[in-house]
Amino acid sequence: MSAECRSILADGSLLTVTATRRPRAGRADVKCQAPGDARLLERMQEVVRLARHTETRFDSRDQVVISIDRVPGALERDWELAVVLADRLARGLWQGPHGPVVANGWSDAWHLGRIEGHAVRDAPVGTLLGGADGLAHLGQLSGHPDRAASVSSARAWFPLHAGGAADSLCWVEVSVHPLPQERNDCAADEEQTITVPGQDAARQLAVRQALAGAREFDGRGAGRWRTTVRFGDTGFQGRSFELALVLADRMARGREFLPRARLIATGQSQAWHAGRVDTVEGLEAKCALLLREAAPGDRILLPQAWQAALPEGFAEGLRALGASVACVERIGMI
Amino acid sequence: MLGLFKRATPVADACELGRTAVALPLYSGCGMPPGCPVVVVDARGCTRRPAPAKRIELREGELAFAFHPGPYTVDLQPFAQAPEIGLRTSFAIDCADPNAAHHRFDLYLASEVAGRLGLDALAGAVEAALQRELREGGLALPPCATIEEWNAFRLGLNQLLYMRFGLTVDDCVPVDLGASRDYAAMLAARVQACPTQAAAAPARVCAFDAAEPTLVDARALRRLFLELPGVMCGLRLAALPSSPEQFRQQQALLQRLDLLCVGASTMPALGLAAPGQPLHIDEQLRRARHSRRATASLDEAWALLARLKGANPELLAPLYDDCDRIVANLETDCEGRRCARVEEAA
Repeated sequence: MSAECRSILADGSLLTVTATRRPRAGRADVKCQAPGDARLLERMQEVVRLARHTETRFDSRDQVVISIDRVPGALERDWELAVVLADRLARGLWQGPHGPVVANGWSDAWHLGRIEGHAVRDAPVGTLLGGADGLAHLGQLSGHPDRAASVSSARAWFPLHAGGAADSLCWVEVSVHPLPQERNDCAADEEQTITVPGQDAARQLAVRQALAGAREFDGRGAGRWRTTVRFGDTGFQGRSFELALVLADRMARGREFLPRARLIATGQSQAWHAGRVDTVEGLEAKCALLLREAAPGDRILLPQAWQAALPEGFAEGLRALGASVACVERIGMI
Repeated sequence: MLGLFKRATPVADACELGRTAVALPLYSGCGMPPGCPVVVVDARGCTRRPAPAKRIELREGELAFAFHPGPYTVDLQPFAQAPEIGLRTSFAIDCADPNAAHHRFDLYLASEVAGRLGLDALAGAVEAALQRELREGGLALPPCATIEEWNAFRLGLNQLLYMRFGLTVDDCVPVDLGASRDYAAMLAARVQACPTQAAAAPARVCAFDAAEPTLVDARALRRLFLELPGVMCGLRLAALPSSPEQFRQQQALLQRLDLLCVGASTMPALGLAAPGQPLHIDEQLRRARHSRRATASLDEAWALLARLKGANPELLAPLYDDCDRIVANLETDCEGRRCARVEEAA
């Protein structure tokens, strides 16, 4: 099994990292190949081994051979993220997006899974950029909060229906910062603590109302947090993102079970304060998209009203992919 | 004096048993606390449960524990990143039949417990096993779990705790821990502790190298020595093969485990490269790292046995593959522990 990952160098050219998995046969667990540069080779090996500390599953039967097709400048470190991702892609630990992955990022704390920054400027859209404003740690690839950071942020995905070929999954990320204790007493309006940068006023209002309502249903979390909500894409319509948003918020606040990989949800509600989930449109198109995009460990949540109308073999198809699906009437525990 | 009329010494802290302590060590001449079964571990690590008597008499090299069968109730946190949601679990220790040949809990006491076993230590071990299994996918507790998913999780949890610790789960319900564990306050404390985000490292990463490698290594080898035969026995019983192909696989696995048992009982001393020739401290740390990783594989093996027990015959193939992986990891680590220095092979 083999995987490729690219990275943009400082001079603007593309570097390609290729990782191949093969039986180990008594060799080292990681073998790196770089054209005539011992120092680079050593650093590659170190980065891969450190990043593997964040994985639970260890398999000594495989060797991963990682090669890099050109030598970056002596001070460049932006290729590190591409090497780590190629290593994971080759072993099937992460299913990347369709098409080539371009990733830039460096870190001094790979053993914690943190990515500290990236050096490339004006990278094309779709590039995975490391750092606080992009991919801050490796668990974020499946939307999980970092267990040691002081800001908790979680991502959930929702399907976008754009008429067939352009259908895609879009993410919503909720980051929560604790509010200082003394400010809790002034009972600030919950909606004022929620910011949604880069979105129009109507979307901001919808996000604020949904989150405030869901937190009211939750009973806790009012007046405790300063919240930032970001979307992976801005050009979409409708309110079917609400269920994903509400669940990402619950995950970020540490009040929801976590899926093994991504959480993909579609659904809206007129009554978040009661925790109810109402139906949304586009059942067939979204189900087809979900079957295409689901990866092992994904959790898919749909409105209860869809249960009877799900296409034949949908749940079995997802189970065969390693994902699980549930139709929910309300959020919360069982 | 023959000591016939000497009074039995009461066990220190005996009133803690059943509340904050699960098991306490006993010394020769101690009285047996009433209602608490006693486990004696002999010098080779075999366990037995002596009949109730006034006083306990131990031979050379024997250890004894008195444990309270429970029930105990603890709050487990299934995900490290979700501290406000918990599972209120009550469990008891199986002690119905004192004549049964092997109790898993006795093996747990013999191989992993040194001295007193507090309820918090046991709950911590249970929580770690649960979190690991959820991360790896052996158990599933997804958001908005349906009632069938919850029941499947409960069955898996019962099996896991019975196989790994010998505990029987009476009850387990999800609870909101928001009142006692405030995530906002925890995050605020992290900000206070280290204003620059990057420094907030989880403590366990560096905890190992600071600890005494000799002690870590000795404990790990004891676990390997005592538990590998148990794992073999479990594999023979739990994983009944469904086809001739799987029968051959199982035989091959058992054979490899057998070799591992022999390897574990003939492991060279940590500090010696050859007789009379001390080993460099870095190599000692490497050896200790390997033996600690081997115990992680042991944990995985017990969890896998729990999954094998209730598995469908059609679903056995991936579990056998997982078993193969675990045995391969054990072999790698035992080999790493054995050799005095490694040359990197490409």
